[in-house]
Amino acid sequence: MKIAVSRDDGLAVARATAPVRRRRLSLTTQRMLEGYFFVSPWIVGFLVFLAWPLFQSFFLSFHELQATSLTDLKWKGIDNYKEAFFIDARFVPKLLATLKNNLLDVPVIMIFSLFSAILANQKIKGVIGFRAVFFLPLVIGSAQVIKQLFAQGVGGATLSQGVDVQELVYQYIGPDAAAGVSDLLNRLLFVLWKTGVQMLIFLAGLNSVSPVLYEAARVDGATDWDRFWKVTLPLLSPVILVNLVYTIVDSFTDTFNEVLEYIQQTAFAGGFRLGYAASLGWVYFAVVFVILFVVVRITNQYVFYAGDRNG
Amino acid sequence: MASIAASSTSFLVERPKWWRDGQIVRRRSITFLQRAFTYIVLIDIAFVFLVPIFYIMATSLKTSQDLTDPTIVWIPSGFFWINYPLAFFSMAYVKSLSNSLYISLGSALGQTVSCAFVGYGFARVRFPGRDALFALVLFTFLVPPQTIIVPLFILYKNLGWINTYQPFVVPSFFGHGLKGALFVVVFRQFFKTLPWELEEAARIDGASAFATWWRIMVPLAMPAVVVVFLFSVVWHWNDFFEPFIYLNRMEYFTLPMRLSVLSPSLDTATGGQASDLFNEALVMAAVFLVILPPLSIYLFTQRFFVESIDRTGLVE
Repeated sequence: MKIAVSRDDGLAVARATAPVRRRRLSLTTQRMLEGYFFVSPWIVGFLVFLAWPLFQSFFLSFHELQATSLTDLKWKGIDNYKEAFFIDARFVPKLLATLKNNLLDVPVIMIFSLFSAILANQKIKGVIGFRAVFFLPLVIGSAQVIKQLFAQGVGGATLSQGVDVQELVYQYIGPDAAAGVSDLLNRLLFVLWKTGVQMLIFLAGLNSVSPVLYEAARVDGATDWDRFWKVTLPLLSPVILVNLVYTIVDSFTDTFNEVLEYIQQTAFAGGFRLGYAASLGWVYFAVVFVILFVVVRITNQYVFYAGDRNG
Repeated sequence: MASIAASSTSFLVERPKWWRDGQIVRRRSITFLQRAFTYIVLIDIAFVFLVPIFYIMATSLKTSQDLTDPTIVWIPSGFFWINYPLAFFSMAYVKSLSNSLYISLGSALGQTVSCAFVGYGFARVRFPGRDALFALVLFTFLVPPQTIIVPLFILYKNLGWINTYQPFVVPSFFGHGLKGALFVVVFRQFFKTLPWELEEAARIDGASAFATWWRIMVPLAMPAVVVVFLFSVVWHWNDFFEPFIYLNRMEYFTLPMRLSVLSPSLDTATGGQASDLFNEALVMAAVFLVILPPLSIYLFTQRFFVESIDRTGLVE
């Protein structure tokens, strides 16, 4: 009997000390709420600083709004978009120029950063110092600094001294290519300056390729050249895709970009046409989005996913 | 030695007797050539990145005669230091430096804390809609800031935030701001690589979710914290699109913004008689003063930048 009573007491005590337990949510629900707790700041920020402005900018793009009187909103339908494509003589050429520049820049950045990453991955003395130098532009390459340097002509002239590349291209490939090449050469230094992050990502990717595979390839008689194309590149392809997306986003949102400069001018410096600027912003966003979608779809077919990557 | 090794393993792998020796000889000769070639190319590439800095330094010390002399390119005829104090005063250096520091340190602090918090939620807690939300995070990275700048400007104007630093600092405390999405991704990837055991032990010992994150996981995530903080500082330091929209009074300008108004401010600094002092050399001195703070930080922290991705396990 005594034992039974004390057992009862024990149960009573347990019940008394844990009254919360009955009302407590199940463990899964609790974990779920914790998840929302952690991401809630981001969701609030997303709604206030992104989703709402994005919606509003879409709304504004169908309206006329002057920066001078923010209450005076007039419905314009798709007139802003019509103006962008058919009336505004500056927007479409600027858009095409930006597309053309990025079409040239993105491959240059990708190839150059892969190349310098492979070099910086060599196991030789002093390579750490070189890595530090390769990464320097990201630290000091402020758009204003680049602008000042560009204005002084530090672009291509200092790089291609002695070799008239433009003339060579003109002679052997043709005037159109020459114009593109000379344009790229003038910007080359600054294009190469944008390779820091990509190089880091490639370096990490190269490090994650298992040495066993290289060893196996060597035993099978593959040359260094073969090993690059048959081992390094396939294993690096997911990293290449990541880098490609980063590079495209980065160069399309670069401040050194005519369309973005034009949008800014339309909205703030001189124009003060907020509605029209919003529609230009949306056109640009749509173009960038389509390009990214196409590039990712095409590239994804060639990406080789080794093993289980469901991390 | 080689022949002994070869003969001792010959019962495992049948290979011709010359194979091992031949391999060693061939590899050595190639390695020497390769090494020389690698160094040459490495120096070439380094040159591309260092040339502008040399150019800035050389030009900033030139007199106006040196600038017009075609024989003087890299080495000025003497050290003409006067450009530095001129640039220093016309940029209101101390004031602009503190503005820059305020924006970059404040935003970097906000982004580090908030992105670590949010990234942990994405990495370690399972809840419905997590993957869809994470897709939204990636989506925010793709939106050009220019697309939403107009409504944001109106929003900040209504809040009275124009000509203050709130437009930079406040969004960063919500995991947004300049490249905020990227930092969320970095923290998510990093937290995914950490072992579950410590965290589970803390939970079993009765720590709340917040305490587990703050007292167990953040200290473990120090490598990612340092990397995100440094990148955020540098990107905010060099950013100039948003500062130009939200700050339009000179006394709030950041250091890079000051470069664009160098000529008029030199005039005011010297009482309108300095237009003949304004030249390329002065601009380059100003540029050097602008890149000096990040450059000197980089000298001490470069390994964090260079090893950042290895440290954060971003590429798995």
